[in-house]
Amino acid sequence: MVRYKSLAIFVLITLFITVSNVWASAGSFIKKASFLKKDKIIIFFAGPVDKKIVEDIDNYYVYESTDPDIPLKIKGASLSEDGKTLILTFTEELNQHSPHVVVIKKLVSAGRNLGVASFTVRKSYAGFLFSILIGAMLVHNFVFTKYLGLCVFFGTSKRKATAIGMGITFTIVMVCSAMISWFLYNYVLKPLNLQFFQVVIFIGIVSLIVQAVDIILRKINPFLFKAFGIYLMLVLANCVILAVPLLIVVNGYNAIEAFVFSLGAGLGYFLALFLMSSVREKLELANVPPSYQGLSIAFITAGLFGLAFMGFSGMSIF
Amino acid sequence: MDPQLVKIAMGGLAVLGVIGIVFGIGLALAAHKFHVEVDPKVEAVKEVLAGAQ
Repeated sequence: MVRYKSLAIFVLITLFITVSNVWASAGSFIKKASFLKKDKIIIFFAGPVDKKIVEDIDNYYVYESTDPDIPLKIKGASLSEDGKTLILTFTEELNQHSPHVVVIKKLVSAGRNLGVASFTVRKSYAGFLFSILIGAMLVHNFVFTKYLGLCVFFGTSKRKATAIGMGITFTIVMVCSAMISWFLYNYVLKPLNLQFFQVVIFIGIVSLIVQAVDIILRKINPFLFKAFGIYLMLVLANCVILAVPLLIVVNGYNAIEAFVFSLGAGLGYFLALFLMSSVREKLELANVPPSYQGLSIAFITAGLFGLAFMGFSGMSIF
Repeated sequence: MDPQLVKIAMGGLAVLGVIGIVFGIGLALAAHKFHVEVDPKVEAVKEVLAGAQ
């Protein structure tokens, strides 16, 4: 029991460190700093600071951590009434995806000189990963907004049980193949200038994973294997599975981001299959006109789902 | 021929060859480990049937 408790505390602390926006390195006097809107940085101090020195624009040196020799132009600095909150306004919009370093050359609080304070402002990485996950799952859902993988989608969404099994298989195959593809692309293809081979190699990897799942599933769970039938082999030539590693290459994700992206894509496909199968099970009881029965009403349902998922478009998180 | 291109082509051949061999051996090992006994009667009956479908 004690072990679990300490583990939970450890996990909480790690989460806290990842989620907290800022590492105040030099000045522990700076409590928190984060981006505000598109062109502002807000800084919270532990105590009231001297207004005259802090509101001087020349007192700051702000740059993106990738280009330390290009200072960003500051339009103004305004301190709040209690002297604890400072808002820096910049002349141009900030590129909030890269961390920014702020150097305050002189900081005076209640007559005491605190010297130089320098700290980094960055968006939380956990939030970025979360936005990738939600983006791949809902905002850019592979079925309803990218229209990929429709043959398997219509084929296996008749029964809930099949849909769930298929969704899980899809997610596993997707994550495995995306991770192996990412590794091969970055450590084998890139150094050898063989990027034009990516499609051939990715298809090979997908077929390897599908064949392996086929062999292992046949032994471990013959009932699920029977339920999949032909559709397991359809995964092999499925466009979603191939699209994920290609999109990872296009977006230039690193290993963690690639993992999260492929997981989100798999879960999104799972979600689409589950929703569709739930509706189609109900549709069998409905009084559908003869000319719409079967696949045609399924296409109409999928279209309505697509419309509903359009509500997510343009949404940005963090 | 540009030696740079020859180098890239050789690299491509080597990479594809190695990947193919590694994947093949891996799949063969997996198939061996997760071997499922199939009733030989199934094959025999299939053999006798017309098999148009």
